[in-house]
Amino acid sequence: MNKSALGLSQWERALTQFCANRFAVVCLIILALIHGAAIFADFLAPYSFSNEDRTFSYAPPSKIHFIDENGQWRAPFIYGRKITFDQYHKREYLDQVEQKYSLRFFVKGDAYKILWMVPCSWHLFGVKEGGRIYLCGADSRGRDLFSRLLHGARISLSIGIVGVLISFSIGLLVGGIAGYYGGKVDDILMRVCEMFMLFPGFYLLLALRAVVPASFTSVQVYVSIIIILSFIGWASLARVIRGMCLSLKEREYVLAAKTMGLSDLTIIIRHILPHTLSYSLIAVMLSIPGYILAESSLSLIGLGIQDPYASWGNLLSEAMGIVKIKFAPWILLPGFFILVTVMCFNIVGDALRDALDPKSS
Amino acid sequence: MAYFFSNYHCFLRSVFIVFFFLVSAVARADVPRYGGSLILSSTSDPKSFNDITAQETSTHTVTGNIFEGLTRLNAITLKVEPALAQSWEVSEDGRAWTFHLRPKVVWNDGLPFSADDVVFTFNDLIYNEDIVSSARDIFKIGDEIFKVEKVDDLTVRFTLPVKFAPFLQSMSQSILPKHKLAKAVAEKKFNFTWGIDTPPAEIVGTGPFKLESYRPGERFVLVRNPLYWKKSANGDALPYLDRIIYLIVQNQDTAMLKFLDGEVDLISLRGFEYPMIKPLEAKKNFTVYDSGPDFGSSFFVFNQNTSRNPKTQKPFVDPVKSKWFLDINFRRAIAHAIDKTKMIEILMNGLGYPQNSDMSESAGFFYNPNVEIYEYDLSKAKRILSDAGYRDRDGDGVIEDSSGHPIEFNLFTNSGNVERVQIASIIRHDLQSLGMKVNFLSLEFNTLVTKLNATFDWDAIVLGLTGGIEPHFGKNVWHSTGGLHLWYPQQKTPATAWEKRVDEIFDQGVQELDENKRKTLYDEFQVIISRQLPLIYTVLNSNLYAVRNKFGNLHPTSFGGAFHNIEEIYIK
Repeated sequence: MNKSALGLSQWERALTQFCANRFAVVCLIILALIHGAAIFADFLAPYSFSNEDRTFSYAPPSKIHFIDENGQWRAPFIYGRKITFDQYHKREYLDQVEQKYSLRFFVKGDAYKILWMVPCSWHLFGVKEGGRIYLCGADSRGRDLFSRLLHGARISLSIGIVGVLISFSIGLLVGGIAGYYGGKVDDILMRVCEMFMLFPGFYLLLALRAVVPASFTSVQVYVSIIIILSFIGWASLARVIRGMCLSLKEREYVLAAKTMGLSDLTIIIRHILPHTLSYSLIAVMLSIPGYILAESSLSLIGLGIQDPYASWGNLLSEAMGIVKIKFAPWILLPGFFILVTVMCFNIVGDALRDALDPKSS
Repeated sequence: MAYFFSNYHCFLRSVFIVFFFLVSAVARADVPRYGGSLILSSTSDPKSFNDITAQETSTHTVTGNIFEGLTRLNAITLKVEPALAQSWEVSEDGRAWTFHLRPKVVWNDGLPFSADDVVFTFNDLIYNEDIVSSARDIFKIGDEIFKVEKVDDLTVRFTLPVKFAPFLQSMSQSILPKHKLAKAVAEKKFNFTWGIDTPPAEIVGTGPFKLESYRPGERFVLVRNPLYWKKSANGDALPYLDRIIYLIVQNQDTAMLKFLDGEVDLISLRGFEYPMIKPLEAKKNFTVYDSGPDFGSSFFVFNQNTSRNPKTQKPFVDPVKSKWFLDINFRRAIAHAIDKTKMIEILMNGLGYPQNSDMSESAGFFYNPNVEIYEYDLSKAKRILSDAGYRDRDGDGVIEDSSGHPIEFNLFTNSGNVERVQIASIIRHDLQSLGMKVNFLSLEFNTLVTKLNATFDWDAIVLGLTGGIEPHFGKNVWHSTGGLHLWYPQQKTPATAWEKRVDEIFDQGVQELDENKRKTLYDEFQVIISRQLPLIYTVLNSNLYAVRNKFGNLHPTSFGGAFHNIEEIYIK
């Protein structure tokens, strides 16, 4: 890589420039936090995603108290609650003053495996058996929305990242091959790309979803959704990479590599594609939100991740209906998380483009 | 009138059964007035205006106001009353029915209605093999059809191959005009006649209203038929209303907002919407009516099909799973794992009913409350399972059958119906705690129906059926030869002894003219179903309506809805 006049590499300069964009840095931190929370969802969430208590249907967020009914200060606690239906059959949760559950840290609860390996049942916080703590309120079946949001983040975010990685590997390779060889190969590959781009994405998504066998388990459905999304997403990248390759393959170092007798594939992967990296990185950042949104919309209409597994899209599907939003507005929270994540990815992507673009100052 | 799958909560009941006038209703101080419009909403467009070929409720919503049958069912008393026929008599052997048609009835284009139209409707439309019609099954006993003949211009005789108890009820079948349709039938074009592009004046019926205009995706308008034959008790020519306007809306939420804005006069409510609508009653000047349990059913069903795919020679259901599904103890355990109380609380805010029998409580006469009732009790379910040999043998948390196969199956429902998805999820969660591995998936409605009646590749499904007051009209579900005999359709011979007995009950019941003896038979049928659990019932909605306070003669019922007596409704 060229050393600039200041003695900094291209990457160092880009980093400095990126850090100068405070807003983007904040967004990056938010993204890191959300992803971190997703990875440690089991520990951070007080309950597992399927832990339900039907007596707490649509329970509003728990109020954490510091002062008890006698006006005395004590450690943070929540009251037990009891559901009643009022004269209009509306749910009302009444605090039961005689039942107090203190908020405790590092408690034992639902069993899980740390990073899918080490069995464990410690949770960051919780209340003792009998009480239920709902930081963000409960869904229709009394499952903790906060816990489900964290577990949902795992699926929604990983679909974005894994999907993008798969589709970009395909896109880079196809684009690289088409650009490097040119001629007939290029023609055929580009026409195939165009076929994929021809169909409106969402309808292609629905059509592909329809061929997934109904007998698939949730995990298989999850994998097939990732594959479907990557299948749709690779074509546009392939085209851009192909364009870049067309010019890169004329460079001297490619010629040198050829004369040294390297195989075509090695040349493409080792010597051509790395030069498209800055572009690809930006494109990756900017297309992750597309995957998150695609998964959400698929789950929203009931064809994506299936209950009891949570994804932001299927959590949001509970919020379809005026009545539910009116009486349980907290079920809109997954929508807020989608919004924030998508926005952060876009802002970070934009900032990356500014930082990596050699033409910008 | 055969049962259909019910996809969504019907916004308006499929057929408006209009009742003969009620004398007591007129004795009130309000004097009915003419004029005004009733504005309703519909969540789907009619697919055609052809009452014979249509299968969807959106078409029957329109045609129910345009056409009439020889008889009709009073939605309040649930008894048969005269409509186009003013009287009838039956022969000694119960097989020959003679109908005397009402004189001076005219089609809304001015031509007289006569026996020819009745004969045409049956012989040329319903019994015409070229025409797609779901009505044909009802008017056939075995392979034999009814003989329909004209005696004179105002007399028709039906000769039945055997006695047929629900005959008078079935005569509410709409009669269509021969003078408008004979040509299409002769040219074999009837299946495509009266599509949605037909000029409204071509759709000719005898009913209280006629079609005025239809704009796809927007609205359809019915206008008063000035030639309608019916008079009110004090001699007013009915109907009172000038127009019925149906606004086509995207979904129930839009309908609800339009209702609250005063743009629509009626909405049917679901239980969870009640707390939003009910408090606004006084302010927005409407009334919410609760007419009791809904008709229809909602259930969990296992695939008990033991036949083989004729092409591949493979069984439709994995024999390992088949063994569990055919085991009554297995099904009984599951019946104990249906948390009906919480389903009613969660999905309907307490405004629902647990369902135990095929017949809804609203069906009245044929409803049998003394059936087997399965209380929600997971430990009992667990005990039944372990007694029957399903227990966790290897300690992995999943129970296995006696030959060591882990209990794992797929559970489907249709994705459009949020309520059903919730019911399925609740059941799945409880089955999971019994140690079963249940893979739940919601499918598109048509995919699900294909599985049920064509490919048979399913394990368990949560679904609903429409229902009525006459048990025989559920024959396509309960008779082992029936196409909707969900758990094992179209059997050549009944697979089990109890299915054989149910077949006998349906074959006997239809020929039994003594109502009380019929009731004994159908009571037994309901008990058998509750013991054998081919369908494991869940919960029923309350039938809730909100209607603007401006209508006179309003008597909502569960069977007929709010406007079953549409011709008598007037605006105060």
